[in-house]
Amino acid sequence: MVKLTEKPKPSDFHEGDKIPSITKQLAQSKINRYAEASGDFNPIHIDEAFAAQTPLEGTIAHGMLILAYASKMMTRTFGQAWLAGGKLSIRFKAPARPQDTITASGQIDTIETKDGIPYINCSLECCNQNGDILITGGAVVKLS
Amino acid sequence: MKETENGSPLSFDGLPIGFEFPPISDQLSKSVVSKYIEAVEERDDFVSVGVVPPLAIGAFAMTALSQKFTVPPGSIHASQEFEFHRVVPIGTTVTCHGKIEHKLQRGRLNLITLGITVLDQDGNQVLTGKATVAAPG
Repeated sequence: MVKLTEKPKPSDFHEGDKIPSITKQLAQSKINRYAEASGDFNPIHIDEAFAAQTPLEGTIAHGMLILAYASKMMTRTFGQAWLAGGKLSIRFKAPARPQDTITASGQIDTIETKDGIPYINCSLECCNQNGDILITGGAVVKLS
Repeated sequence: MKETENGSPLSFDGLPIGFEFPPISDQLSKSVVSKYIEAVEERDDFVSVGVVPPLAIGAFAMTALSQKFTVPPGSIHASQEFEFHRVVPIGTTVTCHGKIEHKLQRGRLNLITLGITVLDQDGNQVLTGKATVAAPG
C-alpha cells in the first residue's frame, strides 16, 4: 500500500498490471451510515418499505458509496498521485443491493508520456458476487 | 442564468441549459471527514495525515447540488466524471459551483448533465467533474 504522502515512480507500473482489488460486504446499516455521512437521504437508499414499492423492489446503495471503493483501490496503489492528478470517468450500470459483496478491480491499460509527464490509463470495474458489473469506466493518473 | 439565493428546490424539467446554481460552501472539518471515512471504510491515515479523501469532496458537491433541485421518482445517477486537482487538507472550506451543461432526451429518458467545480477558500480549483442523471420522461 502506497502512503498518502508518497508519489510512486513511473517505473513502478507496467502496461497490463492488475491493480490490487478491494472487496467489501455491503449491508443496509452501511448504506444508512453513508446516508448520514453524505447527507443523501433519498428514500430509495434507506426506506425499505418505500423502496419495496418501486420498480427496484428494494433499497439500493448510493452509487457514490460503491465508487468510493474504487477510489480507495486507486489511492492504495497510486497514493498522492491519485489525490492530486487522478481522473475518473464511469457509468453506473446496475444498482448494488444491501446484501451484495462488492469487488473493485482494475488494470493498467496503457502508459503514455505527454510533455514529459507520464500518464497511466486504467480501466475500472465494480462487480457484485454474481459477477454483475455495477460500475465500469476508466481512470487516468498523472505521475508528475 | 442564475437561481435566486432564496430559491426553493427547482423541478428537474425547469432547469435550462446554462443554469447556474448559487455557490454552496462548507468546511470539510475533521468530524465531517471522519464520518465519511468510517462510512466508506476508507483508510484511517487520511485523518492522521490530515487530508480529505478526494471522493468525499465529490460526495459533498453531489449532495449539495442535489438539494437544489427535485428529480422525478425513478431517476438514477447514470454516470460520473471527476478530476482531482490538488490535495485538500482537512479543515478546508470548499465552495461548490454547479451548472447545467447538457439536456438530452433519449427514448423515454431525460438526461441532464451537471458540471461541477469545487474551489478551496483561496480560489484554487480542487475538483472538477460532471454528473449525469437520467429521469423517466
